[in-house]
Amino acid sequence: MDGRLNEPHLGRRHFLKGAGLLAISFSLSGAMPGLGRAAPAAPKLGPYGPAADELDSWIAIDTAGFATLYTGVCELGTGSHTALLQVMAEELDIAFDHAKLQPPDTNRTPDQFVSSGSRSIAYHAVPIRQAAAEARHALVAMAAEKFKVPAEQLVVENGVVSVTGAPGKHVSYGQLIGGRQFDLKVTGAVKPKDPSLHKIVGTPVHRIDIPGKVTGSFTFAQDVKVPGMLHGRVVRPPAHGASVIEIDESSIAHLPGVVKVVRKADLIGVVCHREEEAIEAARQLKVSWSAWADLPDMKDIHQKLREVPIYAPGIPAKYPGGVIAKDGDVESALTGAAKAIKATYESPYHLHGSIGPSCAVADVRPDGVTIWSATQTAYGLREAAAKFLGLANDKVRLIFAEGAGCYGQNGADDVVIDALVLSQAVGKPVRVQWMRADETGWETYKTARVTDVRGGLDADGKIVAWESNAWGFSGYSRPEYHEPKQGGEPGSLVTAQLAGWTTPGLEEGFNGIALESAPYYTVGSKHVVFNYLGPASHRQGPIRMRVGSMRGVGSPDNVFMVESFIDELAAAAGADPVEFRLKHLSDPRTIAVVKAATERAGWQPRPAHSASAENGDIRTGRGIALFGGGKETRIASIFEVEVNRKSGAIRVKKVTVAHDCGLIVNPDGVRNQIEGGVIQGISRGLMEEVTFDRSRVTSLDWASYPIITFPDVPDEIDIVLLNRPDLPAAGVGEASTKNVWAGIANAVFDATGVRLRRLPFTPERFKEALAKQA
Amino acid sequence: MPQITVNGKKHKVAAAPDTPLLYVLRNELDLHGPKFGCGLGQCGACTVHLDGDQVRSCSVPVSAAAGKAVTTLEGLGGEYAKARSVAVLESHLHPLQQSFIDEQAAQCGYCTNGMIMAAAALLAKTPQPTDGDIREALADNLCRCGSHLRILRAIKSAAKHMA
Repeated sequence: MDGRLNEPHLGRRHFLKGAGLLAISFSLSGAMPGLGRAAPAAPKLGPYGPAADELDSWIAIDTAGFATLYTGVCELGTGSHTALLQVMAEELDIAFDHAKLQPPDTNRTPDQFVSSGSRSIAYHAVPIRQAAAEARHALVAMAAEKFKVPAEQLVVENGVVSVTGAPGKHVSYGQLIGGRQFDLKVTGAVKPKDPSLHKIVGTPVHRIDIPGKVTGSFTFAQDVKVPGMLHGRVVRPPAHGASVIEIDESSIAHLPGVVKVVRKADLIGVVCHREEEAIEAARQLKVSWSAWADLPDMKDIHQKLREVPIYAPGIPAKYPGGVIAKDGDVESALTGAAKAIKATYESPYHLHGSIGPSCAVADVRPDGVTIWSATQTAYGLREAAAKFLGLANDKVRLIFAEGAGCYGQNGADDVVIDALVLSQAVGKPVRVQWMRADETGWETYKTARVTDVRGGLDADGKIVAWESNAWGFSGYSRPEYHEPKQGGEPGSLVTAQLAGWTTPGLEEGFNGIALESAPYYTVGSKHVVFNYLGPASHRQGPIRMRVGSMRGVGSPDNVFMVESFIDELAAAAGADPVEFRLKHLSDPRTIAVVKAATERAGWQPRPAHSASAENGDIRTGRGIALFGGGKETRIASIFEVEVNRKSGAIRVKKVTVAHDCGLIVNPDGVRNQIEGGVIQGISRGLMEEVTFDRSRVTSLDWASYPIITFPDVPDEIDIVLLNRPDLPAAGVGEASTKNVWAGIANAVFDATGVRLRRLPFTPERFKEALAKQA
Repeated sequence: MPQITVNGKKHKVAAAPDTPLLYVLRNELDLHGPKFGCGLGQCGACTVHLDGDQVRSCSVPVSAAAGKAVTTLEGLGGEYAKARSVAVLESHLHPLQQSFIDEQAAQCGYCTNGMIMAAAALLAKTPQPTDGDIREALADNLCRCGSHLRILRAIKSAAKHMA
C-alpha cells in the first residue's frame, strides 16, 4: 500500500563501503516491487548523481511491470510524491498501483535542485513527464519490432502493449524491458500526452504515504536508526551573538552514558549512548558564554527596519535602487487626485513551527560519509556538507527521509552540520534531534516587515496613483540556490556559522522577499520600491534575527499590503470591494476566480461597513482578498468573521476559496493544500509573533508562541477548483496562504469599521485600533 | 529494571525508571508511532494510552507505566479487535486509522499519532461526539499543516462506523 521505496539494499546502485550502512532499520511496507526480481544495472554517477539526460536515471521497470520513479524531489508532507507518480503512471500508461517511488538519494536519484516555492509539480514534474513519455515511446517501439507492425497499430493499457485487432498479440512492459536498462537519452523529441486523454492525472488518487503514517510504520527522518548509532544533543548560546568562554565538563561527570562533549568554535554538543542521556547531559552541561545584548528593543523593530542600511549587492541589476515598478509621475498624480490616502502595514517575525523538531543522522567515517536528512535540497546540502568537511562530493552520500511539515526552511539543513560535527568527533553514527527550544530559537524566521503605501483616486473612483515602500530582510538562507543551479554552500546555515565557518552563504537577493509587491491592478502612475536589507542570521547582519524562506517568502506580506490597501481605496471611493477590484483588473483568469468565489459565497454588492444593522458587542462581516496576475496561481477568497468588540476576539467562521492553478494533477491534494494554507494563514494572522529581548528569541515553546487549535479553526472552508488542463500546472501550497491576512482585515473592517494594519490581529491590537479610531 | 506491557506484550526495559516513556517506546521497543514534538506535554505528538487513558509519553516516566497496559498507535487496531472479540490480524486497522485514510486526513502526518490516539480515547468515552466535543477534546493537540477540518471529518466518520 505504500509506494515508497527506500530500503537501501533493494537499490540498483553501488553503495559507499562501511559496516552497518546496509542494515538501516527503515520499516517498509509490503508491496515491494523488484523484490526477488531482476533490477537494472547501476548507471554512472556524475558529481550531481545520475545524469538528467539519461532515461535510466529517472525510470526503471522490473520484470513484473512495476515502474520505479527515481526523483530528486523532496516530499514535504504535501503529497507531491503521490502526484509525481500520477504524472509518471499517466505518461507510461501503467496502473497507478504499479508506480513506485525512490525518494532522493545522491547515490540513486537525479538532482532536482530545491523542492521549494510550490514548484514540485509546476516545475519538477516536467522532466518526469518527459522521461515517462519517452519510456513509453521506446517500449511501444520495442513492441512494434517484436510484432513487426507499425507503432500506430499498437495500443497500451495498464502496461500491456497490444496490436489493434489482433487479440492474441500483446506483450507487457515487464516482458519487453523488465530488469534491463533503456540505454537511451532523454531527447525532448517525444510529445507528452494530450491532456484530454488523461486518466490518472486529474483524479483524487489516495496518497501513498498516509497508510504508513496512520499506523506508525512510516519512517520519518526522526525515526531513522543506524546500527551502532549514538545520540547527540546541542547546547546553544543563551544570546544570539555570545561566544564560549569555558566549558565545565565536570558538571556532567556524574551523569551516565556520556561519550563525549564536543566543541567546534561556538557549536557545542554532547554525545551519549541513549537519547534521554543526551537530553539530560545537554541540559546540565555548564558553559560560560560572553555577554551579548545587541538586538533592538522589540517594540522598536519596525522603526529599526527603516534605519538599517540598504543591502545594495542583493538588488538585481534590473531593479536599480530596489525599484520594482515605475510608471508615470506618482507625485503629481497624487497631487491631482480627487482623493488621496496613505497607510502603513507592519508584521512581526514568524516561526515555521514544524511540529517535529529537526533531526538528522550522520555517519562520518574515514572512507566516506552518509547523511540522513529531511532537507529540501539533497544535492545542495550534500555539497555544502562536503565543503564543510573538506571532502569531495562523491565522498558524501545524502539520503532523504521525510521530516515534519516544514513550510519553508526550518532547521532541517542546520541540524545536519550538528550531526556531522558530533559524528566526526566520536567516529560513530550520531543522531541529533533539536529540542523544541533549539528549533523555535534557532530556525529561520519570516522577516518582520514594514510597508508604507500611498494612493489616489480620481473623481470617478478610479485609481490614478499607487506608491509603496517596503523594508525587509532576505527570504533566503538555504545551502543551494532556489534557481535550478547545481552547487551548495554551508555559509548560510547558522550551525556552520556557530562552528566557525566564515565563507559567505548563497545570496539570492531580494527576488523572493519582494515577490508580488507590485499591484496586479491597473493603478495609473505607480512607484513600487523594495528596500532590501540583505541576509540576516543570529550570528550575522545588522539585526541578528535569522531570516529564511517561509511559505510564499515575501508574498504574504506583500499581498497583505496590496489587498488591504485596495480595500481601503474601495472604501474611500464608497464602492463595493468586489466591484472596485473588478474595475481595476484585466487578467481574465483573475477575474474568473473573483467571480467564482463571490458567486459561491453569495456576495451581495455594497460598500464595506455599510450593513451595520448590528448592535451589541458581537459584529459579523465579510471581506475579499485575492491574488492574481503573472503566470502563477490565481486565488480569490471570501472571509466571514465574527468580532467581539468588547473582548477584541476575532473568529474566522467560513472561508470560500476559488483557486486556479492551471492543470490539476490531484484535486484532493490541491484541496488539502488550500485548506492547510488557509488555516495556517489564519493562525499567523491572528496570533503569531516571535518575541525577543535584547539577547535572544524568547518565544521558545507552544505556550509563548501559540498557534491555532481546533476550537478556533473555521467551521468551513468551501473550495471551488477551476481546472485548466490545457495550461501548465502552477504552484498550490503557497497561494492559499498569501491572501489570508488581508482577507481577515477586510472582513473585520466590514464588521466594525476598524482597519487592522499591524499583525498579528490579537484582541489587544484590535482594541488598540478601536481606541485609536474612536 | 522496569517491566512494562505494551500492545499486549511484556518487555523488560534497560532505561532508568525516570526516563520518559517516549524514549523507551521509540528506542528500545522500536515503536515510533509516538513522536517527539516538544517534550513539554504541549503538542500531543507523543500521545499513548495508559490503561485506556491518553497520556503524553514525553512527560510520563517509564516507571509510571509499570503494571499498566500501554497502547501505542501500532497496537491500537489490535486492541480494538481484541475488545470486540474479532480475530486479531497483523494488519488490523482501528476504524479511526481507516477513516483517516478514507478522508486523507493528514498532510505531513507528524501529529497524526496524537490525533488518532486522542480521538480513540474520546470515542471510548463519548461514542457519538458533537463537532464541539471533538474540537474541545483535541484542543491541546497541535497540527501545523492545517489538516484540522479533515481530522474532524475522519473522527465523525469513524464514530459513525463504530456505532
